[in-house]
Amino acid sequence: MNEAALRRLEQEMQPQSFTLENGLTVLVCEMPQFKGVHAVYATRFGSATRSFELDGEVINLPDGVAHFLEHKMFEDEDGNDAFELYAQTGASANAFTSFDKTCYIFTATGAVEESLDILLDFVSHPYFTEKTVAKEQGIIGQEIKMYEDSPEFRMLFGLLGAMYHECPVRTDIAGTVESIASITPEILYKCCDAFYQPQNMVLSVAGNITAQQVLDACARADIPANPHTVRRICAAEPAGVLRRETEFTMQVAQSIWGIGYKAPAEAAADVRGELICDLAVELLVGETSPLFSRLYDDGLINAGFSGEYIAGDGYCCLIFGGETRDPDALEREFRAEVQRVLKEGIDREQFACTKNLMLGEAITGLESITDMATDQAEVWLRGHTLYDEVRQLAALQPEDIEAMLPVLYDERNSSVIRILPQA
Amino acid sequence: MYRKELMPGVMLTQMDAPAFKRCRISLNFMLPGDRSTATACALLPMVMERGYAGCPDMTRLARRLARLYGAGLSVYGGMIGPNRVITISISGIRNEYAVGGEDLLAEYLELLFGMAFEPDVADGAFDAEAVEIEKDKLYELQQSEINDKRLYCLRQARRKFYGDTVGGLEKYGYAEDLDDLTPQALYNAWRTMVTTARVEAVVLGTDAQPVETRLLAALQRVDELCAAGTQRPLPLHPPYAMPVQPVAEYAEPVDAVQGKLAMVFTMDEPLPHAQLSKMRLAMALLGGTPTSRLFMNVREKQSLCYYCTSGFIQLGGCMHIDSGVEFENTEKAKQAILHEIDELIHGEISEKEMEDARRYLCSALESVGDSLSGLENWTMSEISRGTMDTPEQVAQQLAEVTVQDVREMMRKFHLSVVYVLSRGGKCDE
Repeated sequence: MNEAALRRLEQEMQPQSFTLENGLTVLVCEMPQFKGVHAVYATRFGSATRSFELDGEVINLPDGVAHFLEHKMFEDEDGNDAFELYAQTGASANAFTSFDKTCYIFTATGAVEESLDILLDFVSHPYFTEKTVAKEQGIIGQEIKMYEDSPEFRMLFGLLGAMYHECPVRTDIAGTVESIASITPEILYKCCDAFYQPQNMVLSVAGNITAQQVLDACARADIPANPHTVRRICAAEPAGVLRRETEFTMQVAQSIWGIGYKAPAEAAADVRGELICDLAVELLVGETSPLFSRLYDDGLINAGFSGEYIAGDGYCCLIFGGETRDPDALEREFRAEVQRVLKEGIDREQFACTKNLMLGEAITGLESITDMATDQAEVWLRGHTLYDEVRQLAALQPEDIEAMLPVLYDERNSSVIRILPQA
Repeated sequence: MYRKELMPGVMLTQMDAPAFKRCRISLNFMLPGDRSTATACALLPMVMERGYAGCPDMTRLARRLARLYGAGLSVYGGMIGPNRVITISISGIRNEYAVGGEDLLAEYLELLFGMAFEPDVADGAFDAEAVEIEKDKLYELQQSEINDKRLYCLRQARRKFYGDTVGGLEKYGYAEDLDDLTPQALYNAWRTMVTTARVEAVVLGTDAQPVETRLLAALQRVDELCAAGTQRPLPLHPPYAMPVQPVAEYAEPVDAVQGKLAMVFTMDEPLPHAQLSKMRLAMALLGGTPTSRLFMNVREKQSLCYYCTSGFIQLGGCMHIDSGVEFENTEKAKQAILHEIDELIHGEISEKEMEDARRYLCSALESVGDSLSGLENWTMSEISRGTMDTPEQVAQQLAEVTVQDVREMMRKFHLSVVYVLSRGGKCDE
């Protein structure tokens, strides 16, 4: 590889990084060639954390608390809605929750310091009452129902629910209408005490802003360090999958088939492991694979057929799926290809192409203030840097992937889902 | 920005876009929408995207693009108002980021012009097997819209609204046409595209000269295919609007957990371009932001839904509002939405609300140049409208919009169609 190009990448991928006295990590990518600024304020608290010890007290959460909290953070004690405050700065704000984190974001082109003040303030000063919690239960109930009508969503959580016995990733991030009904202001405050604390959070900002401006905003916010002791409690996950097969009907145009492989939780515990999982998926079903074009031309899949790996503390799995006219034939072909790759190994030409493709994706992320702020926060939460990924990717050889394939594609740990059209 | 007419009906727009690691080149073929060719025009991008004469194999093409650091080569077909646009585009990292030191731009040009002008055809027809495969895929695509209930409800409302008029032409064509669509007919659709469409080339982040040279040479070659008397470009349909009609309400039973509500309002006549900024502000106030009337009142205060948004289609002269609601709350949500519209016409609109909406829009306008897709979408929108306003000019126009202007905009709308996805029962018309 061209050393000068790699050095340039290292330079551009490296954010300015600060750890404040209160423990908050601040990452800044100064990108003066852009007009806007994107900020991500993230906590390492997502739906997969369902049990923890706070100052010695064990707290068990109903499903959906992290997501519920995300919705409720936007209101303060004076009845102000953060969206209304952002409206005065022109920022476009939002938030999202995943299995392992909750992120509060905004994009702005003007009054950026004021928008940072709003962000740091409302996330640091939660305010909940019985009334406001009850109101949100109605809105989130509608959100949950909306996703229940999505076949892709049902496939994903159908597979996670079939693979995992205890791990919370088996349940919808937003929880259920029943589980969120039991959320109280007290539960939400305890989660804030445990996880909305600077030591557990990162503020990542990219765009037309200086590091000093961001640090000044943090100084103005004056967020205290966490006085609490917190210990996450992970439910022990039995080996093997809970269920090998799942089948149900929905109002869909044609069948949807999916397969999940439950891998050892530590398979993607570091950058190298993540890259190997990513490559293992891409090499099997990406457009560069022989399987993709064969299934496509045989009419067994459409362009939407895809795969992904999902990993975090205590879970790692590979999931594939899409629409098909013949779920049984697709399953036969898919499993046969997995066995072929396990036996024959990886096509070297495809491996080289796919590495380039992933490198290109990393470079492309550098041209977007949104991607930069988001990716920097995500890799920090996972304990590495963007350039670590490039460096490790450059070093990977086909043999590294082949060594992991039997672990990742263990048929005994697979589970299949079929969503069939109604008669 | 550099914009130049290369020949009648063929324009090239270029922007340096030095902030980006990638460059992007797109060739946009714009044709008047036509029912008789709608399905062929929907199928053509799918068959073209499989490969071209220089690289007809899908897997080989995918690997070639992957090797070029994941360059994206696509053929996309869509409707802009009543007109059809087929876009062949390539995007990829700039040469200076090629860690292998390759000349990526030369490869991008070869792939782009190969895909647009050198299709994999023999004896005046696309490959029959490829056409059959993609016909199946197109059929599946047409059928699968029911999977996304929100989109399905909006499209059904739109179908009822536009009926058989040109505004109602289906982006994905019609299932009943597929059997008769032959590889020869598809090749004719390609010929029509390259010889009669208005062509808009958009070059972002790289030099325009090689694109200009190759485009002119390619068009010269295909013009030899042109039948005598054919003229480039075929005139596009002008903006239009459906007439005011009595409100038609439809309820379609679905097996779903949540109901859906879509409402379409006509303007009766197309909106003059000079009023577009007024309309932008009116839409932001009604349902375009997280502090809009629909969001704050229908969602936040009444907890009726998770989403409730409004959108405006200038070239089709209509506004649509859609929401996901409990089945039993559909009528309540509809009344709440109509109430919010009425409030914008007759009720109070504070200066603060106006300023917030203006600020939100201006911020979005300022960030248009922060992404390649933002730049390209802005450029193509302006081209489609026949204007070349800059985001800065629109921001200036927004500063002049008054409360009275907003009321005037909202008064233009007449409810035409209400479409509901309901629980169980029979289809209600």
